[in-house]
Amino acid sequence: MSARILVVEDDERIRSSMRLALEGEGYDVDEAESGEEALDHFTAQSSDVALIDLMLPGIDGFETTRALRRQSAVPIIIVTARTDTHDVVAGLEAGADDYVTKPFVAKELGARIRALLRRARPAEDEPKVLSFGDLELLPDQGVLRRRDGEEIHCTRTEFRLLCELAANPNKVLSREQLLDRVWGYDYFGDGRLVDVHIRRLRTKVEPDPALPRHILTVRGMGYKLVP
Amino acid sequence: MSANGSADGAHGPGPASEDPKGHLWTRLGLRARVTLMFGLGALVLSIVMGCVSYFTARHFLVDNRENSAKVTAFANASQVRNFAEFESHSGTKPETVLEGLDAGVASHSVLFYDNAWYSSIAKVGKNATPAAMRALVLSGTPATQNYWLGGSPQIAVGVPIPSVHAAYFEVFDVSDLARTLRVLALALTAAGVVTTLLGFSVGRSASGRSLRPLTDVSRAAMAIAGGDLDTRLPEVGDDPDLAGLTLSFNRMVDQLQERIERESRFTSDVSHELRSPLTTLSASLEVLERDRDQLSPQARQALDLLAADLRRFQRMVDELLEISRSDTGSVDLWMEEVAADDLVRHSVAASARSLARLGPPATSAVLVVDVDGVSGTRLRVDKRRFERIVANLLENAAFYGGGATRVSATLGPEHNGHATVRVAVDDHGPGLEPDERVKVFERFYRGHASGRRGTGMGTGLGLALVAEHARLNGGTVWAEEAPGGGARFVVELPVMSEAEQAEELEGSDSP
Repeated sequence: MSARILVVEDDERIRSSMRLALEGEGYDVDEAESGEEALDHFTAQSSDVALIDLMLPGIDGFETTRALRRQSAVPIIIVTARTDTHDVVAGLEAGADDYVTKPFVAKELGARIRALLRRARPAEDEPKVLSFGDLELLPDQGVLRRRDGEEIHCTRTEFRLLCELAANPNKVLSREQLLDRVWGYDYFGDGRLVDVHIRRLRTKVEPDPALPRHILTVRGMGYKLVP
Repeated sequence: MSANGSADGAHGPGPASEDPKGHLWTRLGLRARVTLMFGLGALVLSIVMGCVSYFTARHFLVDNRENSAKVTAFANASQVRNFAEFESHSGTKPETVLEGLDAGVASHSVLFYDNAWYSSIAKVGKNATPAAMRALVLSGTPATQNYWLGGSPQIAVGVPIPSVHAAYFEVFDVSDLARTLRVLALALTAAGVVTTLLGFSVGRSASGRSLRPLTDVSRAAMAIAGGDLDTRLPEVGDDPDLAGLTLSFNRMVDQLQERIERESRFTSDVSHELRSPLTTLSASLEVLERDRDQLSPQARQALDLLAADLRRFQRMVDELLEISRSDTGSVDLWMEEVAADDLVRHSVAASARSLARLGPPATSAVLVVDVDGVSGTRLRVDKRRFERIVANLLENAAFYGGGATRVSATLGPEHNGHATVRVAVDDHGPGLEPDERVKVFERFYRGHASGRRGTGMGTGLGLALVAEHARLNGGTVWAEEAPGGGARFVVELPVMSEAEQAEELEGSDSP
C-alpha cells in the first residue's frame, strides 16, 4: 500500500499541482485548504506524512503543526515561500521534521518524503536495545522508555536521531553525518535541522536540558552521546 | 587585493582639474585654517604688544637715565667751576678733582680747562666724547648724546663753564641699562612665542570642538554609505546651531532608509508573489516531463523549451530575492566551521549537478579540482552561500568561457593578521578585457562579447551575487587572466585564526 500524504495548502492551483506531482511519484494524496480542515481530516483519516504551508488563512502553519504534533508523531514537512531563519526555525520548533521552500522540485520533495518514511535503521546490524542513563531505546519497535517502563513520546525523526547517537556512544558525529543518516541530505543540508532536533531531544531525555549530561555539543565538530 | 580590479574596489580618479587660484589655503582643511588663523592672530598680537611694551619701557628707562646723568653732570660741573675759580691756585691738579667726582658712579669725567684736556681715567681722553658734541659744548651750548664706545653704550653730557673758559664732560657707561633692555626683549619674545603656541592650541581645540558635529556627520554618512542605514546622529540637546543640522540630517537618512526599504520590499514582495505561480508551474511541468516520451516531437521540443526557461525564470526570481535581501541587509547568515578542502570538493560536485540540470552548452573542457593546498585549513563560512559562489562561477565559465578547466584552492597572503584561502576558477574561453574585469560583477552587465555570449541562459545576476556572497563571508572576489589565456575568477576568504576559534568556543551551544 502506498503512503498517504496530507497536503495543507490554501492556494488551489498549487495544491492541485502538488497532488498531480505527488501522485506521479506514487503517493496517495489528501488535500486540505486550511489548518482547521487539516486537523479535522487527520482525526478522521490519519496520514503517513503531512505537508503544511506556513501561510494559511485562519490558524497558520505554525499553529497547525503544533496542534498536529500534540495528537500525533506523524512526520511533518513545512512548506515555506520564505527561507528566513526565523520562519524555518520557528516551524521546526513547532514540531516539523523538515522543510521545503517554494518553488520546489517535485522529485526533491519525493526524496524528502521517502527519507522521512524510512525505517529507523536497517534491522540486521541493530542491537535489540540501546541504552544510556536510565533510558532504553528499542529500535525495532520505535520505543523510547525509562528503565521503570515509562514511555517517552518522540517523533520518528527524533527517535532516529537518538538511535544514531546512541548506537555510537562517546563518538562525535558531525552535523553532515547526522543529516545524511537521518534526513538523507548531502553535505549542503541545513544544519539547523540537527540543532533544533537536538534541542527538542534534550528537553525529553535530559534531566536539565540547559546543562545536558548525555547529548553533548562538541564545538566545531558535532554532537556526541555520553551514556 | 589584486591589481586586476576587484568587484568592490573600483574608485575612479577624482575631479581632474581644480581651480589653480584655490591653492594652498583652500587645500588646507577647515580645521587647519582655523588653527592657523588663531596662531597667526596670537603671533601678530604678541608682536604688537611686545614692541609697545619694549619701546615704552626703553623710552622710560633711557629718559630716566639721561635725566639723572644730567643732574649728576651739572652738579659735578659746578664743583669743577668751584675748583677752577677758587682752588686752581692751591696747586691741586685737575685730574685729582676729576677722580674725586667719579666715585661710586660708572662714569668718568673729561675736562677742558686752560686749553688742555684732563680726564679722570688716564686711558680715556677727550676722544671718549663724540667730536660734534665737543665742538657744540666748546661753543657754549650744553649737550647730551647717546653713543657707543668700545662696544658699550654711553651717555655723554657736556656742560660749558664759560666763567672759567672750561667745559666739563661726563661720560656714563650704561651697559647695565642695555642689559636690562636685552633681558626685557628676551622675556617679551618668550612670552610672544608662548602666546602664539597657545593661540595655535586654542585654535586647534576650539576648531576641533566646533567641527565635531561635522566630523560626526561625516562619520555617520560614511556608515550609511557603508550600508548601515540605522545610523543616526545623537540628539544634541537645545544647541540652536546644531539641532537644525542633526534634525535635518536624521530626517534625510530616515527618508533615504524608508525609500530604500520600500524599494527592496517591493522587489522582495514581487519575488515572493512570483513563487506561488512558479510552484504550480514547476510541479505541473514535472508531471508533463514524466510523460515526455509519449508526446509528439513538436510537443516534446516545446516542453523542453518551457522547462529550460522556467528553470531560468526560477533562478532569476531566487537571485533577485537574494539580491534584494542583501540590499535591505536582511540576510541571514549561517556560519559553520568546515574543512576548506571538503567544502570546495563538495561545492564543485553539487554545482556540477545543478549545472547539468540547467543544460549548459556542451563543452570539451575537463575540470580539474585541486584542493591539496588547503588540506587541514578550516574556514568559517556559510556553506550554502559558498556553494552558490562556486556554482555561479562554474555556470559563468560554462556559458561564457567554454567551460571551467580548473578549480583550485590555495593559501593566499595574509591580510590584517588573517591567513586567507584563495579559490580560483579558470576557464579556457576568450578571457576578459581589462576594463571588463570589474564590470562583470555589476548586475545585468552584458559583456563586450555579448553577441558571442548570447546563449541567453544566464540571469545576469550570477557574478553580482558571487561578489555579494563573498562579501557576506568576509571575503573578496576579482577577475584576472588565467595562465592558459582564459578568464580566472578568484575568491579570497579569511581563515579563522586560532584566537577566534578559541573565542568561538565560548559562544553558543551549537557545533
